[in-house]
Amino acid sequence: MSETTQFRVMDFDCPSCASTVERALSNQEGVEDVEVHYSTGRVEIDYDDNVADPATFEQTIENQGYTPQPA
Amino acid sequence: MDTQSVKQYYRQHRKAIIVAVSGLLYAGGWSIGYFAGLNTLSAATLILAAIIGGYDIAKTAYHEVKSRTLGIKTLVTLAAVGAIVIGSYWEAAAVVFLFALGSYLEGRTMRKTRNALKELLEMTPDTATVCRDGDQKEVPAREVEEGEIVIVKPGEKIPVDGEVVKGESAVNQAPVTGESAPVHKADSDEVYAGTINEEGSLEVRTTGSGTDTTLQRIIQRVEEAQEAQSPTESLIDRFAKYYTPGVIALSIGAFVVTQNAILSLTLLVIGCPGTLVIGPPVSIVSAIGNAARSGVLMKGGEHLEQAGKIDLVAFDKTGTLTKGETTVADVAGFDAAANDVLELAAIAEKKSEHHLGDAILEAAQNRPAGVTDGGTEAVQADTESAPAEARSVPDPDDFDVVAGKGVIAYHDGREVVVGNRKLLDERGIDVPDEVADYVREREERGETVVHVVRDGVVVGAIAMRDELREVASGVVQELQDAGIETVMLTGDNERVAAAVAEEVGIDDYRAELLPEDKQAVIEEYREDGHVVAMVGDGINDAPSLATADIGIAMGAAGTDTAIETADMALMADDLERIPYAVALSKATRWNIFENVGLAVLTVTLLLAGVLTSYVTLALGMLVHEASVLAVILNGMRLLRY
Repeated sequence: MSETTQFRVMDFDCPSCASTVERALSNQEGVEDVEVHYSTGRVEIDYDDNVADPATFEQTIENQGYTPQPA
Repeated sequence: MDTQSVKQYYRQHRKAIIVAVSGLLYAGGWSIGYFAGLNTLSAATLILAAIIGGYDIAKTAYHEVKSRTLGIKTLVTLAAVGAIVIGSYWEAAAVVFLFALGSYLEGRTMRKTRNALKELLEMTPDTATVCRDGDQKEVPAREVEEGEIVIVKPGEKIPVDGEVVKGESAVNQAPVTGESAPVHKADSDEVYAGTINEEGSLEVRTTGSGTDTTLQRIIQRVEEAQEAQSPTESLIDRFAKYYTPGVIALSIGAFVVTQNAILSLTLLVIGCPGTLVIGPPVSIVSAIGNAARSGVLMKGGEHLEQAGKIDLVAFDKTGTLTKGETTVADVAGFDAAANDVLELAAIAEKKSEHHLGDAILEAAQNRPAGVTDGGTEAVQADTESAPAEARSVPDPDDFDVVAGKGVIAYHDGREVVVGNRKLLDERGIDVPDEVADYVREREERGETVVHVVRDGVVVGAIAMRDELREVASGVVQELQDAGIETVMLTGDNERVAAAVAEEVGIDDYRAELLPEDKQAVIEEYREDGHVVAMVGDGINDAPSLATADIGIAMGAAGTDTAIETADMALMADDLERIPYAVALSKATRWNIFENVGLAVLTVTLLLAGVLTSYVTLALGMLVHEASVLAVILNGMRLLRY
């Protein structure tokens, strides 16, 4: 089943940082589509919940140096 | 403070603490070396400053490399490590500290911009008092179901969208419509979640709660608008695709020629297109956020940039320049009593559902008072007495609408025609001079006149008036002062249109237009090279709004279609937002231009400076970060426009 989850990252400091996070998230297994918006800090992830583990999404964002918050 | 709260404090302020510690160590390390000459201690302190300040940067760089992207953090890490390797400790510490400080400030200011909308979101209260099973209960606002009655006490925020079923109050709707003056709300009026009940107690029947409220839809819409790329952004993104590899090639070339690793790293760091790509989104997010707080919804950056080029604004007349509340101004009887003329016309128009028909019907129903001006406001203020006095008007036996001309009805075996001159001419009805004179005289005052004909004989005429909005002429003047041409489009005849146009002081007018004609007129103006904005109600004018470069819908708060289709939606019926929105759009275009200009200038100067060895790694970083911050702060000025 395809699921969607959202986060809010308020501390993106440059547009390319948002693209890096987008890239990192979309490289994860089971992730179908990712949108990361620098301007609003909104992160939207479409994933296959049979494959992807949503718990790792937050970790991935943190690894890139940003703080995810619930949307 | 226990350990728990210390930890929490650290987590919340981690970035600031890291920057501060790294900065102090940097300053300390430099002083130890410069004043005390303790070079080893100085080097150690500076390296520590670089490690503390650079740990997060290096960590991100590691993940950047792992996901095969070349980001600025990778470049900064390389530059710092390179500087340490060749023994320039203070330079390594400076680069790391300046970058960490810059990023922290940039993140912080952007957070402010992003939070502008959150304030709106937090307007909605978390709980609501509902009547359930004959009891009043406090429940989470999003759990209120459609149809449930919510009680809102004076001073409270309304928790749901709904319809007033009991009580009367003044409601401050600023969060939704941007209007600062409270709006009077009574029975069956619509209220919105997030607005503030100022005076009386209200009982509201819920029509939407949780995420299904007007305010939530506005916020979602604004976010989508802020996320949409503007033409300048896409252009810069396309440019960056060639520019970034170009900078990399340049720095490799520089290394090959000079064998100076630091020089080529400096080129990489200062060549980052950060300032360039950050400018337009910051300007646009700030402008759209500002507009939303003033009750103007912009569809996206593209529309904002386009709106900055507007040089002609076309207004629909009815309901836009006027209040859209047509009332009967005068009834004239020719060979018949004025009262009978009104009664006859009311019967004929009873089922027409035309706004002129409604005005006639209302006047006929309220006849004994004899007062027809004062309009809806007077009626609203006096809701108790109006229905009691209303007279009933009989139904016509049969009736037919002739679109754009009038109605033909039958009652008591008589044929009644109510319509304009065109309809009468078509049916071969003779109009006496006396009537024609009366019609001309009223039309020259900007009133719309219909003839009332009984069995082929003109027995009277009814003049109707739709008051101009008080602000209309001021708004037109303001636009003209800004060098924008103004035009009025109307279905009224030439004489009425000319009178109204003169009263408003509008540059030009087009009369006797059917809705599809309005669309054609807009198209004509566009073909003449104008960038055209069309202002209308968003429903009847939808086609012409869509044809215009920028379609501006008025009073969109209650109508989702208008919000969906218009490029710009005014939540309130407030014409004065138009000059504001146009000026804001122009300011935004200029702001983007300034930001792009500053970015290009900075990068050019830095590149030249580095290649001629005037600019070192640390200085380059300082100027680069300063220019990014300058661009963000400049864009944020639009939040306070």
